[in-house]
Formats: sequence, C-alpha cells, structure tokens
Amino acid sequence: MSALLRVIDLRKDDILKGISFEMQAGQMIAVMGPSGSGKSTLLYNVSGMDQADSGEVWLYDTQIVSLDEDDKADIRLNRMGFVFQQMNMLSNLNIIDNIAFPAVCADRKNKREHYIRAQKLLDEFHIGDLAQRSIKEVSGGQLQRACICRSLIMDPQIIFADEPTGALNRTAAKEVMDAFLGINKKGATVMMVTHDSWIASKCERILYILDGQIRGELSLGKSDPNEDKNREQKVVHWLESMGW
Amino acid sequence: MLKRLIFNDLRKNRLINIATCIFMAVTAMLLGLSIFLFARLYFSIDMLMRDAQTPHFLQMHTGRIEEERIYAFARSRKDVEKMQILTFLNLQNSQLSIGDISFEANMQDNGLCTQSKSFDYLLDAKNDVIYPKEGEVYVPVAYKNEYDIKIGDTFNIGNEKLIVAGFLRDSQMNSMMASSKRFLVSEADYERLKYLGSEEYLIEFRLKQGSDVNAFYTSYKDCSLYDNGPAITYPLIKLMNALSDGIMILVILLVSIVILFISILCIRYILLTELKKDMRQIGMMKAVGISGKDIGHLYISKYLMLSLIGCIVGMISALLTAKKLSINIRDLYGEPENALFIYILMLVCSVIGQAIILLSVRRSISKTKKQSAIEALLGNADISKRKNMWLTASVIVASAVFMILVPLGMKDTMADLDFVTYMGIGNSHIRADVRQNDIKKETFRFIDAIKNDERVDRYCLMQTGSYKVKLENENTYDLMIENGDHSAFPVSYKKGEAPKNENEIALSILNAEEMDLDIGDQVIVFMEKDGKESECKCTVCGIYSDITNGGKSAKACLKDDTAPIMWSIIYISLKDEGSVSDWVNEYQDMSDGIKIVKISEYLDGMYGTTIRNIANASFLTVILSGVIIIVVILLLMRLIILKERNESSLKKALGLKTFDICKEYFKKLSAYVLSGIVFGVILGVFLGQRLAGALLSMMGAQGFRFVIDPLSTFIYVPVFIAASAFAAAFISLGTIKSISASECLNSGME
Repeated sequence: MSALLRVIDLRKDDILKGISFEMQAGQMIAVMGPSGSGKSTLLYNVSGMDQADSGEVWLYDTQIVSLDEDDKADIRLNRMGFVFQQMNMLSNLNIIDNIAFPAVCADRKNKREHYIRAQKLLDEFHIGDLAQRSIKEVSGGQLQRACICRSLIMDPQIIFADEPTGALNRTAAKEVMDAFLGINKKGATVMMVTHDSWIASKCERILYILDGQIRGELSLGKSDPNEDKNREQKVVHWLESMGW
Repeated sequence: MLKRLIFNDLRKNRLINIATCIFMAVTAMLLGLSIFLFARLYFSIDMLMRDAQTPHFLQMHTGRIEEERIYAFARSRKDVEKMQILTFLNLQNSQLSIGDISFEANMQDNGLCTQSKSFDYLLDAKNDVIYPKEGEVYVPVAYKNEYDIKIGDTFNIGNEKLIVAGFLRDSQMNSMMASSKRFLVSEADYERLKYLGSEEYLIEFRLKQGSDVNAFYTSYKDCSLYDNGPAITYPLIKLMNALSDGIMILVILLVSIVILFISILCIRYILLTELKKDMRQIGMMKAVGISGKDIGHLYISKYLMLSLIGCIVGMISALLTAKKLSINIRDLYGEPENALFIYILMLVCSVIGQAIILLSVRRSISKTKKQSAIEALLGNADISKRKNMWLTASVIVASAVFMILVPLGMKDTMADLDFVTYMGIGNSHIRADVRQNDIKKETFRFIDAIKNDERVDRYCLMQTGSYKVKLENENTYDLMIENGDHSAFPVSYKKGEAPKNENEIALSILNAEEMDLDIGDQVIVFMEKDGKESECKCTVCGIYSDITNGGKSAKACLKDDTAPIMWSIIYISLKDEGSVSDWVNEYQDMSDGIKIVKISEYLDGMYGTTIRNIANASFLTVILSGVIIIVVILLLMRLIILKERNESSLKKALGLKTFDICKEYFKKLSAYVLSGIVFGVILGVFLGQRLAGALLSMMGAQGFRFVIDPLSTFIYVPVFIAASAFAAAFISLGTIKSISASECLNSGME
C-alpha cells in the first residue's frame, strides 16, 4: 500500500536540514522536540503553507513543494484540514458559519448541504447547541472542537494540528484530544505538533526533532484507554533518553 | 454568509467604515456637483442661445447710419441667413430707479429696447418671447436679486414711470461681465421715451450653419461699414455667459480632483490598517485553503457596498447643494431640457470616481496575495512601509494646503485692484467714459473741469478711433486703437512694454494672435494728418490681455486730430483716496452723458459675482480640508501605532513612560506635517499661480501675477492645518496608554 504522505529530504533555511518520513492513511503521529527545533516549520512546509527550499512532499501522487500558491491553496482546501494553537476563526461570523466557510468558498452552489454537514459535525462533537453563537461566547475547549469540525468539513485526507491543546487547560485539552482520537478511530489521518508528552502518548507514532533533523522515532501502536498511564510513562522515558 | 460577514464588520468597525464611507461620499458629491453644474450651465446657455436665436455677429454703432448700405452688404453675402438693425436707447444711470433704489452706482450701460422682429429675442422665465404691453417694462434677470426687484414695482426714468411686469433673459447681455443691459418696453413706450436718452444701433447678423464667424467679421470690417462701437461674435457671447459661474465650477472641479486623490490615499490606509489587523484571520483563511481571490472578494464586496452607500449619500448631497448653487444659473439661463441626461452624466462621473477608488482598493488587497499563509498567520507580513505612511501624512497635508490656497489666491488676485491692469484697464482711482453726444466736446469740457481741481493728483486721456492697418504680408485689418499717454496708468503687459513714441504700437493678445504678430514686427497704420491721408510705420512694442471691446484692441500714441473718436476714457487719481466717492458723486451730477465710476466698483460690478462665488468655494474648501486632515491623521496615526505596538510595548518593558513614547510620535508627526505645510505653500504659490492662470486666462487675463495675501498664505492657513493635524494626533496618541509592557513577551515565533 502506498503511503498517504511521503516527505523526502525536506530543507528550509537553517531550520529544516533534510527531513524524511512517511505516513500511512489512518495514522496519527505526533511531532515533538524542544523550542526552536523546527516542529512547526516542518508542519507548515509539509502542508504547503510555507515554501520549502528543497525536497519533496508527496500527498499520494501529488508533489506539493513544486506547486504554485493557488494550487497549494486548492490542495489545502480540498484535501487537508488544519487546527491551530490559537483558535483562529473569523470574528464576524458565528460558529456554524465559520465551520461551513471553507466548504462554501469551495462550492457556493450547495450551501444548504454544507450547513447541514456543519451542524452534523457540531453535534458529533457535542457542541451542536453552540452553532449560532459568536466565537466570543464559547469556551476555549468548545472553540477548539469547533475548529476540528471546520478541519473536517471538506472530508480531508489528512489533518494537521499545531499544538492544538497548547492554549487550553487540562480539562479542555482532554476534550479536544478525545475529539482527535474519535476522528482518528473513524479513519482520519492526523499529524500533530505538540510539547505535551501526555498528548503525544495518545498517538500511534512520535517523531523527535532536534536542530532540524529527525533524531528518533517511537512506535506506540493505536491508542488504548486502558494503557494510558503506561504509554505516557514510556513516552517520558523515551524523551528523556533523547535529551528532552 | 457574505452578507452577514459584511454586516457584522460594518457593525463592529463602525467608525472606520463611516470614515471610508465619508471619503467616498465626499468624492462622489464633489465630482457629481461639479459635473452637474458644468453640464447644467453648458446646456442651459446652449438652450437659451438657441431659443433666443442669438446673433452670430453683432456690431454696435453710435451715430447716423444708412440702413440700405448694410442690407446691400448682407444681400451680397451667401453666408448671411438673417440680419436686423435694432435700436438701444442709452439712458443715464442717474435717471433710473426702481422704487426707492437708484441705479446711480450701477456700472452697466442701461437702456431701453423693443422686442426683436426675427431673432435675438428677449425671453421670459419659460424662455418664451416677451411682448410687453404699454406701460410695462421687463427688467434684466441679473438685477432681480441685486436690487430685490418684484413684479409690480415702479421703474422710474426721470419723471416717467413704468410698471415691472417681469424679468427677461437676454442671451447676449445676461452676464454681469457684459457691460450693457437691455430693459424691454412696448414700441409705443419706446417712441414716447426716446427723448430721455441717446440711441445706439445694434447691427446683427445670423449666419447659415457652418459659416466662419471670424471670416465674416473681417469682411464686415473690410467693407468699411458702420463700426464705431465694439463688435462681438457668438463664441465670445457664449464664453461671457459661461464665465461668472464657470470659474466657480472649475474651482469645485479642481477641489474634487484633489479630494479624489486624498480619498484614494486615505481609503488605502484605512484598508491597510484593516488588513494589518485582520492579518491573522487572513492567514487562517489562507491556511485552510481559501484562495487569495476569494479573500480579496470578501474585502472588495465590503468596499463595493460602502461605495454604493457613499455614492448614494454623495449624490443626494450633491443634488441638495446643486439646487442652491444653481439658482443663479437657473435664473439667468433657465432649466435645460435634457435634465435626465445631466443626472445620468452626474451619476456616471460619480461612479467613475468610485471605480477609481475601488481599483486602488483592489490594488492594495492584491498585496495580501503575495504573503504566504504562514507569514500572514504569524502576523509577520508587512504590507505597508512605515516611512511611506509618514510621507503620506506629509503629502495629504501638502494637498490640503494647496487645495485651500488656489481658490484663495484666485479670489485675492481678482479682488486686487491691480487685476484690472491684466484686463486692459489702467489702475487709477476713477474712470470716466465719454461715449455719447459730441464726444470731443464733452471730453474737453470734462478735462477743463478737472484740470483746475486741486483734489486731482493726475489724470490721463485715452481716445479710441478705428484705423486701417496693413501688415508686411499685405493683409489689411481694422483696428480700434486707443491713443494717449500709456505710461500714466499702465496696463500689465504679457510681453514687451507700453508704446512711448508715435512709431510704436501695443496689441491685445487676441489681435496679436489673429494678425500673427509678435514683438518687433511692423504694421502700417493709415491715418489722416493735416487733411491728407498718411501712413505711419509702427513696431509692435507690447502685447497685453484685454477683456474690453471683445478682447480686440490696440494702444498707440498717434497724433491724429482729425480721425473720428469712437469714445474717450479719462483715468483719474486723486490725492486723497478716501474722497473718491464724494468726488465721483459731485462730478456725476455735473456731467450728463459721462459715466464716472470708481475702479473698485467697476471691478465689483464685473467680477463681484465671480469673486463671491470663488469666496464661497474657498470657505467650503477650508472646512473640508480641516475635516480631511483630522480624519487622515487619526487614521494614519492609528495604523502606525498598531504597526509599532510591539516596539512600544518593548519600550515600556524597558522602562519608558507613555509620555516619552507619545513625545517621540509627536516629534515625528510635527516634522512631517510641517514639511507638508511648507511644500503645500510652495506648491500653492507656484503651481497654484499656473493653475489659476489657466482658469483666469479663460476670462481674458493673461500673464498676471498671482496675488497672495501673506497673512492667509503664511500664517492663517498653515496654523489652521497644523492645529487640525495636532488635534487629531493628540486624540490618537491616547491609545498608547493601553499598550502593556508584557505584550512584547508573547509575540515571538518558534
């Protein structure tokens, strides 16, 4: 089976120094590393939000690095989903408008269907009753779950998440992580940058980056609620061994 | 969704959106207003001249005429469609009054006439031909407001009385710049009142379509027909009609173009402020794959809506203002038939103005396309350079100063007594015109009287006669030459200087252009000397601008006692300028048939309306400039403070006080505002002179010196602009207080 995502010798300024890895469809991987190691830069360059200096990024049979800005935007809109640490949403739209927004921009004709799907996603993440609220009228955890809904509206092949729980308290972070685990269980592929060993322990694989290079990889297998504690301890030990 | 997005943005950013809308509305209003007034004036004059059947060529003449000679000339010409000889009963202004108001101070040549038979009709408010009944008089509409005349008032000519039955539009003498005014009476009254004045003839021709008016003019003069008065052509009548209101309209047009430029700059910075503020959201949209085109569409849609509102508000304000400003045009020239076309034209021009603004908005938005999603998302995208923003403040301040100084300078230039010297008139205290009865006898009687008057400082006699001249290329022309001492009360020369000897001649610009002569060229003037016909070879020594006598005149010092004098002008200056009014009153009572006027009143009579119109436009410009400066500086400072928020936060973290940061901004703003003011003043004085020159040359004044009032130019206007700018800066600097020292700590990126 061909990999969903193949990254080959990716370089960017002095931050990424030849990164290569693969991801299979349905995987959820965490990218970890100390501050300034290049975790976020890797995510931005893999997703085409930033332009790499050299190297290749294949999303199935599409080489992203060589595409122009418009084509990259098109790939991001139709085949990728994004969740950020800062819960960026359009402040002049309410929750459901924000979720439906990418779909409406991609296909204005079926507006009604997009809104029905947006509401369905909100319901799945237990925030259906917040649909008409302003983004300022909901909690951080609720807003981040709404952002996950937005990332799913176009039924993407992969979701990129940059420190999705970084700005949340533990309870909200758990709600958000449960949401990610839920969508991964349903088959979504997730690449997540995180500082948090507990979050990373929920993922199937962890890539450890230092000075722009992958210095180690840990395979944990699919998340198992009964194994949570052990997995976290394993991750902590591994990180310590990597010099974390 | 789009509607909600725009509506919520309008609601949240109320102030900034209102400011944008105001700029759009003011641009639409001024553009619409100037085009409306311009089109209305043009079409109304056109319609009046068509309905009245204005003559294409008109020759005034005093003295006996043999009508058959003129009819024979007309029959010999294929280009003449119709011709007629009208009479005009010239009356003494001192004899005239309406109710209690005397016409004594009136500068115009007022007289009676009857309705024309075949063209050059005098029309009523509906542009219908008027046929007055016995005992009735129709008054020129230009006097309606000036003397507050009402229908039913009594018009007195000496002891004779007529009832004002209405007001008339005179297509050739409507403008206050035309020096005569016709009052319409019935034929019976005209015959009855003939004894009160002296008759002048108006020899008028209507030419067939496509005929060359200038060629006809030359042929008429070549045939040595009756021509001891000014000759006027159709284009000149049209120009005179257009000028008094036209200059004000051109000033409004000039201001609206400057405002359009300022609006583009301001809206650009409003948009850049907004984009800067929205950069994270733009980054997020880009990150999730929304194309730059779609993001641009969101902003363009909002600006399109603001533009629509601005355009509607601007058009409504333009229509309301236009109603007030066009009262004079409506009274003088009537309602144009194609009003709908004018409204459409007005709308089209306002829409073009909005389109220019929206194009600039699109250009600014396209800047965001160049930013990568991640630059935008992390707020690192720099879409406006700071230096450019300070420079913009400077440019807008300079534009505002320029916008105030041009109309102000034009007003001061026209109101200055020296202005008459650019019009072919000497700058003395008093001017006495002798145009009736035995001109020579009257002139010398008057001169004898003032010669022994101790109050008179100096005087100078100018006598005008018609001469035939021949050029080196054998072409001949008829010239009206004013003979006298031209150094006593000199006019301003565009080129060269006044004639000093008998072999020198100065020409008005129109004559020099028509005869293709320049300084140093020679002409031969034919005249009679000691009963014999003689020639005098004259060198062109000067060229000057002239609005009198249709702009065609010449000045020389020919000693020719035998040639008939068409009219005499005596320029007088008194030792005590304060006693001019008393002197004029005293001599007016003594000298029937001589029109004695103060030069300042002469100027006011001719250009008073224009000067007042420009003064109104200047006042409007000052207010507008103040508002614009306040809004612009508020916006720019807001944007700059927003851009430098992190730096300011860092400064606070390092221990600087809010006051210290404010002081830095204030110093910088002061430097740019003051340099803008200096640049604006220089621009206003030098470029303004050229612009005002171009406008005033349309009135016949060329090569003039732009008069600047040093107090307004160097003190009042700069202080007003600086005060507006600093007031706005003071308000916007208040936001620095809200910047916390800790903000800079959270702004790094991994």
